[in-house]
Amino acid sequence: MKTLYVEGDTFLHRLSPRTKLVGLAALSLFLFLIHSPTVLSVSATLGGIVYASLRLGWHQSWLRLRPILLTIAIVALFTLVLNGWHDALIVITRLTALALFAAAVTATTSTGDFIDEITRLAMPLERLGLVRAADIGLSIGLVIRFVPEILGRYQAIRDAHRARGLKVRPLTLTVPLIILTLKNADEIAAAIDARGVRAQK
Amino acid sequence: MDIRFEQAEARFEGRTVVHPLTLSLSERRIGVIGLNGSGKTTFARMINGLVLPAAGKVTVNGFDTGKDGDKVRGQAGFIFQNPQNQIILPILKEDIALGLKSRKLSKAETEAAVEAVLARFGIAHLGERRAHELSGGELQLAALASVLVTRPDILIMDEPTNQLDLRNHSLVERTIHSLDENIIVISHDLSLIADFDRVLFFHEGRLAHDGPPAEVIARYRELAA
Repeated sequence: MKTLYVEGDTFLHRLSPRTKLVGLAALSLFLFLIHSPTVLSVSATLGGIVYASLRLGWHQSWLRLRPILLTIAIVALFTLVLNGWHDALIVITRLTALALFAAAVTATTSTGDFIDEITRLAMPLERLGLVRAADIGLSIGLVIRFVPEILGRYQAIRDAHRARGLKVRPLTLTVPLIILTLKNADEIAAAIDARGVRAQK
Repeated sequence: MDIRFEQAEARFEGRTVVHPLTLSLSERRIGVIGLNGSGKTTFARMINGLVLPAAGKVTVNGFDTGKDGDKVRGQAGFIFQNPQNQIILPILKEDIALGLKSRKLSKAETEAAVEAVLARFGIAHLGERRAHELSGGELQLAALASVLVTRPDILIMDEPTNQLDLRNHSLVERTIHSLDENIIVISHDLSLIADFDRVLFFHEGRLAHDGPPAEVIARYRELAA
């Protein structure tokens, strides 16, 4: 997973992150309440138009959407086999619409803005003394930042197995990966402290 | 810069890593050398309060690391051995801005400070890049920018030229020598600290030698031979 934000000055870029997130949540709810293939197909088409308005190009769009579209295709295939074409059509149009709108929001909202908005939305919880709002935003930023690192580490461990002629087994992959990730987590926590990111206000 | 150790001692799991140490540091450029496991990194972490003394105390510009941790960390920035772990947010500009969050600056002020620090290290073109795509030298400069944007009085660097190729090594070395801040550099790279004002040599958790670089490095070479 990489940061999917794209610099730009489209209408979606100019919308506030809160509007986009609330709008996406409302749209998701709407899409799951609707069971009409026609309405869902129109929604998917609209999603495609919104995504196309970002002008990322076919190749870039395909690279970004490929994992989610393949997943949707697999889910739709299972639905087709188990529940028939009508349900499969509903699943594929609903999930495609959702994926396209969500991808458009992700591509037009920087991580920093996203974190700031999540932090603001968590402020009521902070006032209740339940959490530190900034920690929730920071946690999300850390997930986005370090997933590629963990994937890189996973590939390095897999390559180390191959280089030594060892068979790649889930257990021998996951144990060193977990140990390395936890060790890194300690260092990252120390870096957060050292940079005063969580300094008391 | 005014750093004072007063019988400060560090322990890990019952083992003494830094034996009771009393010294004061005020020179602008200080090197710290020693074999692996000699206590150098723990000593450095005691300065900015990442490791608190099990006994005695450490003060930085008058602030006690045990009582005023946040203030101490505002005075003393720290660059870790692996700068990869120091960049917390995915995009470099956003990460640098993160360090300024607690200062409550306006968006324009934050952006100006980020641009200025990127320009200072000649990495303005990397501002929009993802941290995991940067080379070793770029990462080291990015880590410097992320710490120095908060304008600490003291910068502590833990093996800043470790694992860098020759080009990146020269780049980071030149940058370190051009810094105006007070710096404390832990390094196995003896040429990096050869012209510093003072060098501390740690051995088995104790300060074995302390003085001008040439003299202390000579002692270190004798011991390591």
